[in-house]
Amino acid sequence: MRKNKVVLSIFLVFLTIFLVSALLKTDISYGKTEAITYTIADATGDWGYPSPYTHYPRGPGYVRMSFIFDTLLWKDETGFIPLLAQKWHYEEKENAYIFSLQKGVSWHDGREFTAKDVIFTFNYIKKHPTWMVDSSIVEEAVEIDPYTVKIYLKELYAPFLNNVACTLPILPQHIWQEVEYPRGFQKDEALVGTGPYRLCDYNRAQGTYLYQSSPNYYLGKLKVERIKFIKVSEQMASAALKRGEVNASSVPPEAVKDLKRWGLQILTCLGSWNAKLMINHTKEPLSSRKFRQALAFAINREEIVKITQRGYATVGSTGLIPPSQEYWYNPNIEQYSYSPAKAQAILESLGYHRKNGYYWKNGEKLRLELLTSPQFAGFIRLAELVSQQLEKAGIAVSMRILDSKSLDVRVGSWKFDLAVSGHGALSGDPFILNKVILGKDFISARYDKNELLNKLLSDQLHQMDREKRKEMMYKIQKIYAQELPALTLYYPTWYWAHDGSSNLYYTQDGIAFGIPIPLNKLCFLE
Amino acid sequence: MRTKIINYAVAFLVLLVLNFILPRLMPGDPLSAIYGEEVLVQMSPELKANLIGRFALDKPLWEQFTSYISSLAKGDLGYSYYQNAAVSEIILAHLPWTLLLMGLAIIFSSVVGIIMGIESGWKRGKLMDKTCLTGMMTLSGFPSFFLGMMLLLFFAVTLRFLPLQGARTAYGNLTGGWIVLDVLKHLILPLTSLTLAEIPANYLLTRNTMIINAREPFILTAKAKGLPDSKVRYRHAGRNSLLPVVTRIGIKLGIIVTGALFVEIIFSYPGVGNLIYTSLLMRDYPVLQGSLIMVTAFVLLVNLGVDLIYKKLDPRT
Amino acid sequence: MHIRYWEKLEKDPFGKTGLILVIFFAMLAAVVPLVTQNPTTQTSFIFKPPSITHPLGTNDVGQDIWSRLVWGARTSFLVGLGVGVLSTLLATLLGASAALIGGWYEGVVMRTVDVLLVIPTVILVILIAAFITPSIWLLIVVISLFRWQGAARIIRAQTLSLRKSMHISAAKSFGASTSYILFKHIIPDLGPILVVSFIYSCRMAIFLEASLAFIGIGDPSVISWGKMMRHALNFYYLDVWKWWLLPTGVALSAFILSFTLLSYCLEKAMDPRLDESNV
Repeated sequence: MRKNKVVLSIFLVFLTIFLVSALLKTDISYGKTEAITYTIADATGDWGYPSPYTHYPRGPGYVRMSFIFDTLLWKDETGFIPLLAQKWHYEEKENAYIFSLQKGVSWHDGREFTAKDVIFTFNYIKKHPTWMVDSSIVEEAVEIDPYTVKIYLKELYAPFLNNVACTLPILPQHIWQEVEYPRGFQKDEALVGTGPYRLCDYNRAQGTYLYQSSPNYYLGKLKVERIKFIKVSEQMASAALKRGEVNASSVPPEAVKDLKRWGLQILTCLGSWNAKLMINHTKEPLSSRKFRQALAFAINREEIVKITQRGYATVGSTGLIPPSQEYWYNPNIEQYSYSPAKAQAILESLGYHRKNGYYWKNGEKLRLELLTSPQFAGFIRLAELVSQQLEKAGIAVSMRILDSKSLDVRVGSWKFDLAVSGHGALSGDPFILNKVILGKDFISARYDKNELLNKLLSDQLHQMDREKRKEMMYKIQKIYAQELPALTLYYPTWYWAHDGSSNLYYTQDGIAFGIPIPLNKLCFLE
Repeated sequence: MRTKIINYAVAFLVLLVLNFILPRLMPGDPLSAIYGEEVLVQMSPELKANLIGRFALDKPLWEQFTSYISSLAKGDLGYSYYQNAAVSEIILAHLPWTLLLMGLAIIFSSVVGIIMGIESGWKRGKLMDKTCLTGMMTLSGFPSFFLGMMLLLFFAVTLRFLPLQGARTAYGNLTGGWIVLDVLKHLILPLTSLTLAEIPANYLLTRNTMIINAREPFILTAKAKGLPDSKVRYRHAGRNSLLPVVTRIGIKLGIIVTGALFVEIIFSYPGVGNLIYTSLLMRDYPVLQGSLIMVTAFVLLVNLGVDLIYKKLDPRT
Repeated sequence: MHIRYWEKLEKDPFGKTGLILVIFFAMLAAVVPLVTQNPTTQTSFIFKPPSITHPLGTNDVGQDIWSRLVWGARTSFLVGLGVGVLSTLLATLLGASAALIGGWYEGVVMRTVDVLLVIPTVILVILIAAFITPSIWLLIVVISLFRWQGAARIIRAQTLSLRKSMHISAAKSFGASTSYILFKHIIPDLGPILVVSFIYSCRMAIFLEASLAFIGIGDPSVISWGKMMRHALNFYYLDVWKWWLLPTGVALSAFILSFTLLSYCLEKAMDPRLDESNV
């Protein structure tokens, strides 16, 4: 009988836990607090300690820091708005920006915020650059009076407001002036800012953050008193949203229909990230522009969207800038819509002839090597589909899967034919084009053979007139589409769902320099 | 006994050497093998110099190895650039959850497996035994992660009241007893998957030993003495059947650790298994290597402990 | 020890089931090209439920799940047999030779066995695979390198006792060399142990390969059940798991089970105390 008793008792223990938890449900576990709490789910969870030097160098890391630290300017759905700087204007003759700062703003520890902090920040970052801000364009920051600063630039620089004024978090001088090694500075003082929220708790292992609203925030009262970030995978997020455990989360595309039926609001982000086919234009036969164009004709980008993205993406534009960037996008460029006939015509004009389904030239079969890595979800399937399509068009493809580090090294040292890669930052200021066309690292096309393109790219950074800059961007896209040093395959569509208790939106041109996450801290104001 | 200790020490050393050699076998310098080009490019020169000093990369190989061993002895498992923290800190934050999960799984699966094995072995050939055996056999084919997935699906789609991931509800404002209950609630699904996957092995081993023991003369003596059936079963036959299972716990630990790894991934349980998985994905080598070393050290230590206990349990040695 | 394998397997219901399952999977893996369409062709028929053209429906990139399942069987079989053969070979050579040669050589081999036995295989493979992406062959070799120890110990013990047996002593007195004794006498006598250890290694290898593929370690160009399950898990909230995740998991479990049953039955045959027919 002893055996039965033991087994029985174990069974009873399990049963009890089962029943109690069933009765417990999830209401009680969330506690009955007075504060209005907004819970956001995130698949990764941990984005680093939210100080300007320790958050992980990615968008979500920056966002978590932005709740605590304010910048000079900010953006909402329509464009630039004042934050720490009440007013600003640009002195054309001196190539300097003048910012009039808010008065009566205190740091979270009670000290007063003045121009000294701004000057200090600009000087400090020269020695200790933060992740997301490149302030090399700043010549000097000068204090005009305790609430006015003048920033002199070395050259004309169109993206200054977006990339620096909107992105640089202002640091309190009285705390950071002693800090020699900012990346190791993880004490409580490192989180003293002027922003609407303070950090209550950060748990790296669990991937959770808890923020508490800062009283007397200078922009007004905050509707949401506490913000919680919890770690929930994307698949579970929709279940959590439906159960009311979470107020907002990014969701997988298939879940959107169901969530809409449940009464949740959906936000759509179209062209922020792109999957790209990198082409080694330093090597035959890819060094021929016509050959690259033939490749573009042979790849069916619409099919790629339909299959690998199950329809939830926009077909890539050959000018790199996505159609969702309504201001900058040039709709009148050659898109090389899928046409195996045109591809064939070009290849034949280059001396290839088709035999047994494949192209041959000088006795050699045309064969290209396509590299990919499992780094981004679905890249291997993408590469497989691209190979499939090229093979169908008559170009033999050997696909190789490497780990992302080896891939980067090979691409970086030009030891490849084709590679599948991707990058974001396309929904912000078009300065990103310079990085991904002329830039030196491996996500860039590193193409500088077209003199006109190079000139236009360098000029557009200095063109302060927006309309004139747009003209230049149009020309840039046109030339880029002709040269095709890399082919944008698609822009995935991202979805966020929320219950409407806060009015989330996608910031115009992204948060700060261009982060496409609908968590603008201003949403939580009354 | 001493040979056993030496064995464990050598095994650990082998792992350390492997850990040391692998990044240095890769093309390029070890720092980029460990941290990756992308990260190196962003690193400040001070940090790079700091790391080079830490790993003694500017010194000959032998000195690198000795500095590696000595830092390990001090408990310094390296530094994760991604998470900007010491590896040992990161691992220690995750470790308790895994210990909780594994510990409970071992206890439950052993108890249930042993008891059922004893009963089954005693009544060998009867209907109860046949049913149990068939059931256990079938169960043994299922890998723990598949069991986990099935449980996940069942509770996600059909019955919806159990939490499907995590170890506890974040910032739930819970106090005292509620916290324990919350933790238990989150433990149910991962624990069940892991336990169910382990029971068959215990069961089969106990049953086999039981069958062998049942024929031994001393059992006959006990029965002849008129002892009640259950006493014979447990006090005499059962206790002897314990020995192989207890020994096996040491070896089995490796299997349970593996099982826990997968279960943690499926249920996003924040234990060391999940840490290994995420650091593998991100190629955060210091964390990955550190966790693997710690897990192995743990397995070896427990094995050592079991060997010591075995000496006490078996009067023959 | 000479066991009539077929007889034993036939009589025991577990053995019989195991055998049937193994033969089923073997046939499936053998006739792969006949029963499947191209498993890697991506189409736009995404998440389609089972139909005549797609007996198990399609996955998230329109590939035929049934074909991938069968190809996955081939992978599992390959890995299972590969590791089984390689590790048993290693175990036999090293274990038996250690027993026969003895002395310093035996000490080294057995020490290696003890040391490697105690480190969890998965940990070692993860460590190595984190730095080098293994091809399927490399994976087989690596797994075999850490799987032969268990069998080696038993083989050595058995060889030691065999060494003292009559017919071996007789052979020795006739001047037989070590390798002659090894290949003509010891190995045939070790038959049953080799068979059981082979089956056991197969089973562990299949389980390991699927588990590793599940966490993303393995040959990326090869179709594996573990990888399929991982992809399927990403879409668990849709209906598609019923014909994607479930059949794959069941297939994997059934395959592992078949080896378990076989080894259970044969173990019983080897140890008469466990055999019911001897009561």
